[in-house]
Amino acid sequence: MAVDLTERVQEIADARGVPESKILEQALERGVEDLWVDLVLTQYLDGEIDREKAIELVGRDRVKRADREAKAVKDDVRWGLNA
Amino acid sequence: MILAVSDTGPIIHLDEINALDLLSVVDQLLVPQTVYEELEEGGVPAALESLSYDLVTADTKGFNEALDPGETAALAVASKHSGVLLTDDLEARDAAESHDIEVHGSVGVIILAYHQGHIEKPRAIGLMRSLQTETSLFIADAVVEQGIELLDDST
Repeated sequence: MAVDLTERVQEIADARGVPESKILEQALERGVEDLWVDLVLTQYLDGEIDREKAIELVGRDRVKRADREAKAVKDDVRWGLNA
Repeated sequence: MILAVSDTGPIIHLDEINALDLLSVVDQLLVPQTVYEELEEGGVPAALESLSYDLVTADTKGFNEALDPGETAALAVASKHSGVLLTDDLEARDAAESHDIEVHGSVGVIILAYHQGHIEKPRAIGLMRSLQTETSLFIADAVVEQGIELLDDST
């Protein structure tokens, strides 16, 4: 995986004509953003924050998608346990 | 008796976590020809050939949803046979529900395999996490963990 990542960073940097350090900086920003969204959605689905707060923090689209995903997974678990 | 019709999603995602064999938990599996052709574009998973399934054609008249051709075909076949549509696509799920078609996804297949005794709970939980981390399926980490909690609470 480490080799893959190094190669990918090099390839992206070459394709965009920017230093590898810039790509790593962007990757870190995106990674932290993803982890932040995961945290907020976890807090929302666990009932630790309300829907309005979750929307304020990560946006309506992400919360709506999480709602739909959560419903789908709940339906699937109940079906699997009862079919 | 569970008759299920799969679109490409569960076939690809379960194969990505080496669990395609779990599709054998349904009594009869139908794969629309259109779905098979979509699989061919990326390479039909070798494990699919170890499964018992029937290739079927679909009459998609009356199904005008904005879905991929494979999803539309699977929807039409599920409707015709009063079967369960297996899809991991949220829009396809919505379309199925609007046609009163029972619909489930890869998570449902894993839980069903656990419920039928094909796999132990720890493997079911591991596979659910792998679906999120190791496949092309997009699903929030928090949603998977909530599903695992539901499974844990069930016994």
